[in-house]
Amino acid sequence: MPGGNGERPSDAELLGRHVAGDSEAFGELFRRHRDRLWAVALRTVCDPDEAADALQDAMVSAFRRAADFRGESAVTTWLHRIVVNAALDRLRRRAVRPAVSAVDEQTFEALVAHGADPARVTDTRLDVDAALRILPPQQRAALVLVDMLGYPVNDAAVILNTSVGTVKSRCARARARLLPHVAHLRGDAARNRSASQSVSPAQGGDA
Amino acid sequence: MRRQMTHPDSGVLAEYRAGLISGRRGARIAAHLSGCDHCAAVGGQLAEISVLLAAAPVPAMPDGVAHRLDTVLAAEAAKRNDAERVGAQASGERAAHPRRARRGGWRLVTVRVLAPAAAVVALAAVGFGLSHIGGPANSGAASSAAGPAVAPSAAASAAPSAARLAVPANGRESRAALVPAFRSLPALKVFNSPTSYQRSTLRQQIEREVRAPAGPAESASAQIKGCVSRVTAGSGGGTPVLVEKARFEGQPAIVIVASRNGSYTVWVTGPGCSAADDTVLVTQSGISAP
Repeated sequence: MPGGNGERPSDAELLGRHVAGDSEAFGELFRRHRDRLWAVALRTVCDPDEAADALQDAMVSAFRRAADFRGESAVTTWLHRIVVNAALDRLRRRAVRPAVSAVDEQTFEALVAHGADPARVTDTRLDVDAALRILPPQQRAALVLVDMLGYPVNDAAVILNTSVGTVKSRCARARARLLPHVAHLRGDAARNRSASQSVSPAQGGDA
Repeated sequence: MRRQMTHPDSGVLAEYRAGLISGRRGARIAAHLSGCDHCAAVGGQLAEISVLLAAAPVPAMPDGVAHRLDTVLAAEAAKRNDAERVGAQASGERAAHPRRARRGGWRLVTVRVLAPAAAVVALAAVGFGLSHIGGPANSGAASSAAGPAVAPSAAASAAPSAARLAVPANGRESRAALVPAFRSLPALKVFNSPTSYQRSTLRQQIEREVRAPAGPAESASAQIKGCVSRVTAGSGGGTPVLVEKARFEGQPAIVIVASRNGSYTVWVTGPGCSAADDTVLVTQSGISAP
């Protein structure tokens, strides 16, 4: 995290305070990282409601299991791991929709079809999300961590509880799978720049 | 090159780019790439995908989600504090009092002396709120729901202590359960009840009172909201269905009733009960719902 202010407690200190009984510490830790944790959950499950539920499951679990944290990884890595697990759990439970890939591929193609008209697609994230949705969950989780959020492959492997090679492989297959849509993603990125990252309430979650 | 390879497919190229293919096979791909514009372009596109994904803005957490998570974590913290406190008291009481477990039993939660002011009685209902209270225990709610719940708008307007009211005590309540429960309690009302509760007849009195609360109602103060949220969160939760300023054993008291899995739990606290001080004089669970 930016800042490096001497008075600001580190993540590990906050977690230690929490374990020691400080009732504010965990909330502060969460608020510090919540946007990234949200991004991981949202991008992994591709649904704001499911993401909110997954994140809630994860944070309650982290709150209760904080004493198990052994400091073998960064606190953020540990938090991400719990969030990704909760997100993948949700997807597994939701596996009643195995046809989701095919359906979403069509949806995606439909988006591509009118992607040339920037006025038509105002929420650019929808396009990235649509692209991610065509990926199998494990590939998507890896790609989100490595390519979208910029985690080193080593960290992603810890978060995903797998080997570095597996993370690389999942990312590679995911990129290959997105290859037919690169032109669309390119246009998407261009719109993103011109739209100056306006945040649409369409992703507004559960309010 | 001894062998001219056909174009490797994009999956192979992607693996090669990720460093997963080395040795002789890797060398062949490298050689092919250097002489094949098509595959070199594919490689460039694969690299571009990573760049494009990295450029996608990180979505900020929506306010509604942030509020919900803050609330859930605050409830977890309150619950943990309560568990520690109750545990400490229970060990102290065991020494002083013989155990008085009964069906739906009385549990003396504190040995603090009842203050000579007003005490508060509150009832809490768990899960889906008033509309479900009369029905059979809801299977879904029974296992997963646990807390008083509040609509985001109501929680947002409440004081921080009152926001805990929104929180499922076990932190697991789904959003679906959360909202309807609070809709049935758009604003927590407090009845100024003339009822004088007695320890020996509390169960029957509560069963009567829940059906038809007596006395004029007023909006709950921040103090009482804090009291209700803390009291109910500390005991595994429940949705508050009745809060009264009444009398208990002749002394002013706050009575809180919450519903959980189709039955009621009542807590009687001193009149000074708040988010910071939830001295429970007596609590009783397993009260049958009307």
